[in-house]
Amino acid sequence: MNVTGSLETFGDIVVFVLSILGRLANLRVFRHFGEVLRQAGILILSSTLVIWGLVFIIGLQCGIEGAYFNRSVGAPAYAGVFAAWCDLRELVPLCFGYMMAAKVGTGIVAELGSMRISDEIDALEVMGISGVTFLCATRLLAALIVLPFVYLCAIGAGFFASYLAVVQQIGDVSSGGFFLIFWEFQNPPDLLYSLIKAMAMAIIIVLVGCYYGYNASGGPVGVGTATAKSMVFNIVAVHIVGMLGTQLFWGTNPRAPIGG
Amino acid sequence: MVVLTGRTIVSALSPPYPYGPEFVGQFMFAMRLCWFPLLVSTIAFGYEAPGLQGANFLVLFGALDRLGGFFVLASIREFAPFVDAIVLAGVAGTAITADLGARRIREELDALEVLGVDPIKNLVVPRFLALMLVTGLFDIYALLFGIFGGVLATLVNHAPLGPFWATFFNNASTTDLWGSVIKTTLFGAIIAVVCCYKGMTAEGGAEGVGRAVNQAVVIAFLAIFAFNYVFTQVLLATHPALTTIVR
Repeated sequence: MNVTGSLETFGDIVVFVLSILGRLANLRVFRHFGEVLRQAGILILSSTLVIWGLVFIIGLQCGIEGAYFNRSVGAPAYAGVFAAWCDLRELVPLCFGYMMAAKVGTGIVAELGSMRISDEIDALEVMGISGVTFLCATRLLAALIVLPFVYLCAIGAGFFASYLAVVQQIGDVSSGGFFLIFWEFQNPPDLLYSLIKAMAMAIIIVLVGCYYGYNASGGPVGVGTATAKSMVFNIVAVHIVGMLGTQLFWGTNPRAPIGG
Repeated sequence: MVVLTGRTIVSALSPPYPYGPEFVGQFMFAMRLCWFPLLVSTIAFGYEAPGLQGANFLVLFGALDRLGGFFVLASIREFAPFVDAIVLAGVAGTAITADLGARRIREELDALEVLGVDPIKNLVVPRFLALMLVTGLFDIYALLFGIFGGVLATLVNHAPLGPFWATFFNNASTTDLWGSVIKTTLFGAIIAVVCCYKGMTAEGGAEGVGRAVNQAVVIAFLAIFAFNYVFTQVLLATHPALTTIVR
């Protein structure tokens, strides 16, 4: 573990991220709004189904664990609590983060990295187009436009899967009973917090992907190495954002309709 | 990939066994890459999901001592295995794909075949065995640090640790532990096969290796989660004793 090297990389990432955010803040990215829409389209077509698929599987998982756990404490009717909290608060944001890192993050590194290796980014600069604006800031803006909706649909997929697992598969609780408890234990602020958590992960993943891709070096091998490195950073970042988000939003206030 | 799995297993079992040093090298490589991300991830996950949210729920009933029992379910059975697998796939798996992909692009694999060296026996088999072993062993490591996350959550709630350990050891069963270790060992096999396959079939120059890594990690994640679901389902359905909470 090379501590100095890691810290230097982290500092480089922060500087790079600030420059991207600067392009977003001074609205220069809107000169390339067509590119933003194209990236948004690519994001929708290539990544959404995989993300929903993974979230669906984790919804099933939450469902069966919740059903068996609540059966063991003698309250099978309350499987909805487990499903609601497990899906909405913890695992859907985390799985969204995992799949974003795996599909979108590494995808950006591979794409930008190969552009860097084949000198396409230098060609852009020669033509007077800023690489950071045209390649990185557009991708970030596209992600900001598309991902909230993708994430909300992913929550829907997770809920549907939990319903399937708890009600249709295990069958300890009726559909109406499940939904009564399920909706009782969540409210719109929870959804908003969950969305904030997932968006924080997604933004970090896109920016880190841009950093590693934009600064790739060392030929075809370098692109592969950069892709692998971005994954390491993103996995750690996803977990840390998840932990801080939970501590911030639910750490001191369980937001449950019982007790204090 | 199924063909590669079959050929890897056959090749691993049939003599000669020339892959010893490479196996040790890969084993050390995966350990060196993964220990730190895994440590941070499991503590964060253990503190976050089962720790804080579980404690939130139990505090409402004044039953925080049951958090230990909940950690058997949450940590041993569920999240330690899959955080372990996610980190191994994301860190060691991507490194393997990048490495093998680079060798494919530089035509080193073809050169090996020309020399009469079987790439499956000398490259894939050691990675396969090393990842299986590392993932299985790191499961225990992930468990320990995940439970440490739970301990942190208990301390944050100003509760004593005695009841946590009491309910934990009351509920912990050997079947759960074995299930967890077997599950992660199989996760390791899945990760190794997917990542080696994608690395060895990389093509198309500079973009190819990056895209191979991208596809490898997506397929590995989906396969891990799908397998996890089936495994948990089978384990819970066939061992009903696991789901009774001892008081």
